[in-house]
Amino acid sequence: MSAPAQDNHRTLIDELLAEQRNLTAVERFSQKHEREATPAQARFYRDLIPLTLPKVGQQYAFEVDLDKCTGCKACVSACHSMNGLDDGETWRDVGLLFSDNWRAPQQQNITTACHHCVEPGCLEGCPVLAYDKDPVTGIVRHLDDQCIGCQYCVMKCPYDVPKYSARRGIVRKCDMCSERLAVGEAPACAQACPNEAIRIAIVETSVVRGAFSEKPGDAARFLPATPDPGYTLPTTRYKSARPLPADLLAGDHARLTPADAHPPLVFLLVLSQLAVGASVAAAFAPQPKGLALIAAFAGALSLGVASLHLGKPLKAWRAFLGWRRSWFSREVIVLGAFVSLAALAAATPWFAPLARLQRPLTIAAAAAGLLGVACSAMIYADTRRAFWSASQCFGRFFGTTLALGTAATLATMGPFSPWLAALLLIASLGKLALENRIFLHLVDQDSLTLTTLNKSARLLTDALGLAARVRVAFGVFGGAVLPAFFLAGHAGSAAWVAPLALCLLGDLLERYLFFAAVAPVNMPGGVAS
Amino acid sequence: MTTKPKSTLLRLWHGPLTQDLVLHPGEFGLGQVPARLKPDGTTTVVCGFCSTGCGLNAHVKNGEAINLSADASYPVNLGMACPKGWEALTPLTAPDRGTTPLLRDAGGQPRPVDWHDAMTEFCSRMKATQARHGAHSIAFLGTGQICTEEMALLGCLFKFGMGALHCDSNTRQCMATSHVAYKQSFGYDAPPFTYADFEESDTLIFIGSNPCIAHPIMWQRVLRNKKSPTIIVVDPRKTETAMAATRHYAIQPKSDLTLLYGIAHLLLENDWIDRAFIEKSTTHFEEFARFARQWSPDKVAAETGLSVADLHDFAAAIHNGKAVSFWWTMGVNQSHESTRAAQAIINLALMTGNIGRPGTGANSITGQCNAMGSRLYANISGLIGGHDFKNPLHRAKVSATLGVPDEAIPTEPSWAYDQIVDGIRDGTIKGLWVIATNSSHSWIHQDAFNEILGKLDFLVVQDMYPTTETARRADLFLPAAGWGEKEGTFINSERRFGLVKKIRRAPGIALSDFSICKLVAEYWGCGEMFARWSSPEAAFQLIKELSKNQPSDITGIADYEHLDRAGGIQWPLAAPTESPPQERRLFADGKFYHADGKARFLFDPPRPMPEPPDAGFPFVLLTGRGTSSQWHTGSRTDKSDVLRQLSPANIYVEINPRDARRLRIAPNRLVRVRSRRGELTATAFITPQVQPGQVFIPMHYAETNKLTFAVFDPHSRQPSYKACAVQIQPLK
Repeated sequence: MSAPAQDNHRTLIDELLAEQRNLTAVERFSQKHEREATPAQARFYRDLIPLTLPKVGQQYAFEVDLDKCTGCKACVSACHSMNGLDDGETWRDVGLLFSDNWRAPQQQNITTACHHCVEPGCLEGCPVLAYDKDPVTGIVRHLDDQCIGCQYCVMKCPYDVPKYSARRGIVRKCDMCSERLAVGEAPACAQACPNEAIRIAIVETSVVRGAFSEKPGDAARFLPATPDPGYTLPTTRYKSARPLPADLLAGDHARLTPADAHPPLVFLLVLSQLAVGASVAAAFAPQPKGLALIAAFAGALSLGVASLHLGKPLKAWRAFLGWRRSWFSREVIVLGAFVSLAALAAATPWFAPLARLQRPLTIAAAAAGLLGVACSAMIYADTRRAFWSASQCFGRFFGTTLALGTAATLATMGPFSPWLAALLLIASLGKLALENRIFLHLVDQDSLTLTTLNKSARLLTDALGLAARVRVAFGVFGGAVLPAFFLAGHAGSAAWVAPLALCLLGDLLERYLFFAAVAPVNMPGGVAS
Repeated sequence: MTTKPKSTLLRLWHGPLTQDLVLHPGEFGLGQVPARLKPDGTTTVVCGFCSTGCGLNAHVKNGEAINLSADASYPVNLGMACPKGWEALTPLTAPDRGTTPLLRDAGGQPRPVDWHDAMTEFCSRMKATQARHGAHSIAFLGTGQICTEEMALLGCLFKFGMGALHCDSNTRQCMATSHVAYKQSFGYDAPPFTYADFEESDTLIFIGSNPCIAHPIMWQRVLRNKKSPTIIVVDPRKTETAMAATRHYAIQPKSDLTLLYGIAHLLLENDWIDRAFIEKSTTHFEEFARFARQWSPDKVAAETGLSVADLHDFAAAIHNGKAVSFWWTMGVNQSHESTRAAQAIINLALMTGNIGRPGTGANSITGQCNAMGSRLYANISGLIGGHDFKNPLHRAKVSATLGVPDEAIPTEPSWAYDQIVDGIRDGTIKGLWVIATNSSHSWIHQDAFNEILGKLDFLVVQDMYPTTETARRADLFLPAAGWGEKEGTFINSERRFGLVKKIRRAPGIALSDFSICKLVAEYWGCGEMFARWSSPEAAFQLIKELSKNQPSDITGIADYEHLDRAGGIQWPLAAPTESPPQERRLFADGKFYHADGKARFLFDPPRPMPEPPDAGFPFVLLTGRGTSSQWHTGSRTDKSDVLRQLSPANIYVEINPRDARRLRIAPNRLVRVRSRRGELTATAFITPQVQPGQVFIPMHYAETNKLTFAVFDPHSRQPSYKACAVQIQPLK
């Protein structure tokens, strides 16, 4: 190739690259809505929002016409773009309900966002009052700067609405585009639905209450395959000219994915329960020094590790604010008091002036600790998940308190006590029996539909099977075989650390499985694959 | 309204995190927008995914789009968009965008090179291939995803400048059937409808079409219909559209042609036909009427799986409708006898006089954003501008208009996609240039295609991403600017030219397909021939000139600004008109484009499914669109986190509960699906949306086409993606 030709080519490349970078679309083409004040979209959504504010006893609510929701999912994308959400962040979702009756094929797409419940689970559970139900509109808003990222609202909401952002360290959620409604614009989803399936209606809260809380247990009155609406009283109204059969399945009804295990919470619960167990033992022990130290150390450690769970730990000092409603707040307050008392009790041997307070401090710490364990159990029981029933939560948490407290006593006391060994054996076996009750819900591999308990049982056999078996092995060996072996008189007291270590490991695994094997409650999802 | 108290020490109502979501008046008619995304201007851009051709309103700041929303005033979409449209900007910033040409080195590693080296390599190796194996030994596989001006330049450069012949486009996979069917029936590739027809019909018949998912904004227009229309859906699956329909006829796969002849039979038998229209505007009706007599209801019922009463109801619905429109999509087009099936639909419209009036028509809903541009201007199967390579007058017109020597214009059409693939297999094609398509994923019987790529001497892939299944195999990768990073026009399903504008800068040194073609011309040594193609808009003026006196005459469109002002303009527009009516349809005068001015009844006896299920492979595999958030092979839609969340993450197979029970397949369990050509593993979704004996797998997953069976419609050479035989086994 000749040199001039090469130069010509180079020049053309440079010209084309320069042209590629030149952006002139706005200057070249007219803008139809130059500085226009009224939104051009208004003519399409004018009829989709109320003209008036709700009166007393009323609130705004989403109303979805299922006959018009055909699964295009524009609402999800539009909400994302019009609210400037983070990559991948969505406040609305579209799921699927379908029939598995081969003679009567049926499917229905379900668009869903926050239901702005009459009794919002998120709001009730939030330890820092980062949720607000607007007194006029009833919109449930999240105060992003108040949030500490504890994610308890994620567990409390039966509809999986609050979404945690690890990058931001907080939760965010749908606020029904309240800033748009304030100026007479429709929420993004309502604006963007090509079929006008989403509108904002005014509902009577007493009607919602009457429909859902007076006849509990029939979720289908809200929507088939959804959690019991009596819990939070969701206000979204799903309407259809062809009422949906109650036995429809969610698109993701058979999804079996382990849930987030929340490792810091695993350590918080098990270590705090060890601490409480040790503290109770200290209250009875003739030589409480070692046990008091264990209680103080494990208690402090549990709270320290727990802070790793929070997205915004520096704001966590406000966690007492929700004490009127939130078991999370109550746990923080009571366990905080417990650790303080346990620390003081443990410190008494070194501070002579406190010496006479040792007994009262130890007893107070034990009492606070037991209350704290009850608060912990209520945190999970209050989420209304079948796998986290009150009997399971209380049984497991107090079981851990008893077993680890006993094991700690055996490990620190001087002369061997057969009674304590027997107590450890009984506590450990009892707790294992309680945990393994879940396998009563194990059903055949071919089952077409699974309850949440069936799913937990299946997860504990399949995806989490190894961890579940190791947990049993630790529990049986540390909590039963070794104590029995010692009861038979085969070992000296130095070996008494082994049951404590094994039981501790076993219970950490138990608590990991407690979180990982819980089957989600949710709105219907899409096809799971 | 909602109250927002002041922050206190204990309760922070405001702060930086809250501020991130604060809305602010966007002006420009936008309403509230996120404060940090407030634009300093807006401009309308036509969407680059499907053929609906929605107007998107780009929110522009300092010349660059920072967000977008649906355009409230564009006549196509009336303020709405599907999730792909809303997310159209996201794929442009994907981390795996191609930023520089990549040339495979001696060790087989792709290495960045500059455009000079890339073009030198491109031309020297393509020319060497031609020198060794003949001028026709290089081919390209193009696309319906680039602008009309770009595909026009590409087709002219390749055939007139580079002296090559064989090229085709991925529109062969979606639209070839409609193109051929219209051309044979009407005398020109002329979809007759306008979207207002969705609103003006009293009876809408969708055949092999699921607009709720594939064309949601067209479904919007159906729901705007105020006439409480009867909506009939013919589809083996109970799709979203079938759910929303008044009646769903779940026929056996590939029995559509039989059904349509059966309906014609009943219309004839009951004399529910428009004799005056037939007489005035059609030919070959008597032959068709004789032929249709064979398709008695009993016979048709047995083959389609419908009842005789269903057939009567179907025919009566057509008869009772005052404005009946027929709509078809890929369920018809992707078949071994697709052209005749499309024409069987056209025949029903012709015999009942349901064409040329509001709310009527035999209407093909196109697939890609510019499939229609490809059909008219890609210079592939037809000479550019809807002309004929074999017609000397047409060649002379193109030669004169473009300033191309007459002898440079081939006198024969190119091979179709499958023939090019065969050419690679038998060694006649040795150089391949793939532009904006992902054949390694999308071509039927994928493994066979990927195997023969190894036989090529030189594979060039020009795409936005060097990571597509096809680009990963390229010897030379050319980084292309995408939709929104360049200018040009798309033609949508209703023949509307819409404008694509440059609202984003392309990454690195990526160039528009138009510029790449200009560079190739320059380096090839035929730059002079394309001197008049100085910019996309200059090319548009050439396209206009080529359209003169064609049915698709657009000489009345002034320029890009005219298109922008008018909200897109449908062809034809022969006389300069500032604001042509926004909804225009064809054939109001009953005149068609054959020399005699009449439409033709075309028909052939149905042929059995080429690979019917049998004892070894007892299921019929159907493929098709999965969700509205997935586009074809996902090379763009998979780049958006939001779109990915809106579709199942991994490949799945829909199985009827009765079959699942028999095979002991539990929901969400993995199954192996095997055909005679390949196998894949998929999650079972057990649903009666598919009938017993049938399974469905969406086309978007990379493995799906391992199974499909490469047969083609003899007229359109469109692949039959929608029916092959498979077996299923549960995996432990």
